[in-house]
Amino acid sequence: MKRFGLYLLLGLGTLFLLPAEAAVKIQHWNTPNGARVYFVQANQLPMMDVELKFDAGSARDGDQFGLAYMTSALIGTSTSQLTEDGISSDFNNIGAQFGTDAGRDSASIYLRTLTRPKILHQALSVFEQVTSDAVFKPEILDRERNRLYLQLKQKAVTPSALMSDKLWSELYGKHPYAHPPEGTQQSLKKLTAQTLKDFYRQYYVASNAQVTIVGKLTRKEAEQIATRLTQSLPEGKKPAPLSQPMPLKKAKVVHIPFTATQTHYALAQVGIERGNPDYAALFVGNQILGGSGFSSLLMENVREKRGLVYGVYSYFVPMKVSGPFVISLSTKNANEEKADKVVRETLEGFMKDFSDKKLQAIKSNLIDGFPLRMDSNSKLLAYASMIGFYGLPLDYLQSFPKAISKVTKQDILKAWSKHVHPQAMLQVTVGQK
Amino acid sequence: MKLAIHWMFLGILAVTSFAAMAKSDAGIFEYQLKNGLKVVIKPDHRAPVVVQQVWYRVGSNYEENGLTGISHMLEHMMFKGTKTLKPGEFSERVAKLGGQENAFTSSDYTVYYQVVGKQHLAEVMKLEADRMHNLVIKNKEFQKEREVVTEERRWRIEDKPASNLYEQFNAIAFINSPPHHPTIGWMNDIRHYTAKDVRHWYRKWYAPNNATLVVVGDVDPQQVLKLAKRYYGVYKSKKIVQPKPQVEIPQQGERKVVLKGATKVPSVLMGFHVPTLATAKTPEEKQDVYALSVLSNVLDGDDSSRLTKDLVRGSKQLASAGAGYDELSRLETLFLMEGTPSKDVTPKQVEDALWQEIEKLQNTPIQPEELSRVLAQTEAQYVYHQDSIQAQAMVLGASISVGLPVDTDAHWIEHLRTVTPQQVQAVAKKYFSKDKMTLGVLLPNGKAPVQSESSAISAGGIR
Repeated sequence: MKRFGLYLLLGLGTLFLLPAEAAVKIQHWNTPNGARVYFVQANQLPMMDVELKFDAGSARDGDQFGLAYMTSALIGTSTSQLTEDGISSDFNNIGAQFGTDAGRDSASIYLRTLTRPKILHQALSVFEQVTSDAVFKPEILDRERNRLYLQLKQKAVTPSALMSDKLWSELYGKHPYAHPPEGTQQSLKKLTAQTLKDFYRQYYVASNAQVTIVGKLTRKEAEQIATRLTQSLPEGKKPAPLSQPMPLKKAKVVHIPFTATQTHYALAQVGIERGNPDYAALFVGNQILGGSGFSSLLMENVREKRGLVYGVYSYFVPMKVSGPFVISLSTKNANEEKADKVVRETLEGFMKDFSDKKLQAIKSNLIDGFPLRMDSNSKLLAYASMIGFYGLPLDYLQSFPKAISKVTKQDILKAWSKHVHPQAMLQVTVGQK
Repeated sequence: MKLAIHWMFLGILAVTSFAAMAKSDAGIFEYQLKNGLKVVIKPDHRAPVVVQQVWYRVGSNYEENGLTGISHMLEHMMFKGTKTLKPGEFSERVAKLGGQENAFTSSDYTVYYQVVGKQHLAEVMKLEADRMHNLVIKNKEFQKEREVVTEERRWRIEDKPASNLYEQFNAIAFINSPPHHPTIGWMNDIRHYTAKDVRHWYRKWYAPNNATLVVVGDVDPQQVLKLAKRYYGVYKSKKIVQPKPQVEIPQQGERKVVLKGATKVPSVLMGFHVPTLATAKTPEEKQDVYALSVLSNVLDGDDSSRLTKDLVRGSKQLASAGAGYDELSRLETLFLMEGTPSKDVTPKQVEDALWQEIEKLQNTPIQPEELSRVLAQTEAQYVYHQDSIQAQAMVLGASISVGLPVDTDAHWIEHLRTVTPQQVQAVAKKYFSKDKMTLGVLLPNGKAPVQSESSAISAGGIR
């Protein structure tokens, strides 16, 4: 019963000031067949995390929506040697954890295991097989597709999901980010085991692969593991870059009538790509506006002063190409217009001016809070993986915080007026008028 | 000056009592201040970070009808100012330190926490100690925050049919004992809280002798203890009057609740009353808890376990399935099983399929491989669990707050190793029967909540 549950989502993929003594060292090299490797040594716990990541998210679906998602879901269900039950018991019998996921930009395969030699060896042996020798069985595809149909059906009665799908489709139009990664009822029907296999052959290749490893390993052991996990992948080639999405030219309001006690509300636009030079200024500004929980302006104005909502957030989603900027909340139907008005006034007021005290407080929050972002192997894995995938400099953990410490109010106001356009935003609501 | 001497004095007292701090073999330090505050410290030097949690032994299981959810309402008000802090200032100060903070309420406890760089521990201890004793609940702030809580309930429960079903399911599974009502409280009760109710609840339960301080991270235990004495040691203990025993009446036949809601997919929930480590009175009953824990992992610990293997992948009757229970609950709890049918499978067939799995457990001992898998998983998870200092603090606080030893989790695996396949079979027979079942079924109400296609309006300016 948390006071607000989304707290952890707020800082998504962002990094902070680094005191010299806490410097996390990310080592980088390529495997013989061209996969990129990022490694952080962490000796305190006898465990290891590894992520194999490919530029094989739903942005690569073409017109077969759900293809990347389904391909990812079936990895780990069979190989030429192993059955589904065999794979799961091989991992589970030694307490290893295996998983896959696919979003818009990328698809990942994960393994977490103890580093006791016998266990580590067995876990890696199965992991290597399921990643480089994936077999797509029609009967498993059918079963997983049927399960997904039920989820999609349920999505149609879930207002937050309706809102999110609408937001992406309206903002991105014909761009490959527009459709939901899990596809639609119609598009899923067309998928076959062969289309999955073809997708796997094209995108799950060494030159499109990144290996991120965090754990109790020496550099030499990490090198051996990275080489072993990628050696059976064909070299292949990297896919072409995605096209740039076009921002909306003028404001748009979309309402989905829905019977419920609350209205779900979002105000959004196309934002920025990962690596954008204005990111530090936009990021610090967003912490002031709505990205820092209880100390943000939106929370202050919408929740604390007026009691209109349980939570209200703003965030950039920097992606390979420009991801969205979103402000979202849910409130009882009768209060929707009131909340909308406060959100817009808060955004516009912030873009005109904000107090120096707020800026100082946020900077001090980001500087002192830095160690919290890096205090576990899971978090280190996520950051090293992001730095690698989006081609950020290896010293990003040092350079980005420096950039933050230099950000001035003028930088923030300038960057926001350049990238954020309150007059041309999309408003989506799902609820009862 | 007076203050400084006072602190020094405390410091000296602390030095003399260090020897009394008990250290378990799991590296956990345990202590109790003179005013009754329990202090639990676990050093973890992986990162220069520390988490402080304060656990009050009060939650929805301590509440009475008409005031359900009042513990949660109080949790919200704890951020609304003290004698020296303005509303919201607590959060502002923690944010300025770069800290993350929040709070949560459950049936058995209310917990406040901050994660900060280790150099800021004293500051957050000072802040947290302040609101243990000096909270100010202003009528105006209270009224706004009550609105926030109603929004929270709408967001969490009202618009989610599965959450509605779970509430009503608990309400029929527990007839005369506190788990009958939801932790967040019934909407009607929330609407009728007064500031006076919340003040009364605060005075009744918030005291050092009804709380546990848990600190995990890059700290020196003796230093933490010194700080604990300095900041929390100054308050007097209170007389805490525990609720009267409200023991659940025995179940004498199947109970069932059906809820028709805005869902497209039905689902089935099954529950059976079982003991927990906290309610078990005899060593035999404690062993039942460990056997039930193994049983829950055999059914649903990972994707090799029976529900997934037999019903989702095997017969494909279920689209998803789960089982489990909270072994650390303070009061008697439910062993839960749930399932979502695949297309063209009825809720009754889901119920039957889940029953077949229960009967298998009753008729045949589990395989030795299944038992060794559960043990390997438990052992590995214990290591993985150490990756987060917050997760470590959670399990320490949860154990001690329901009256269990602080190192319960550290010794969990040793107890599971004593469980035999025969014991698992025995608990399956003892606790699972049709007459002891509570059944919850969620059915689509047949109405389309989306009233029409979405309407797009192009607007030149702002609405």
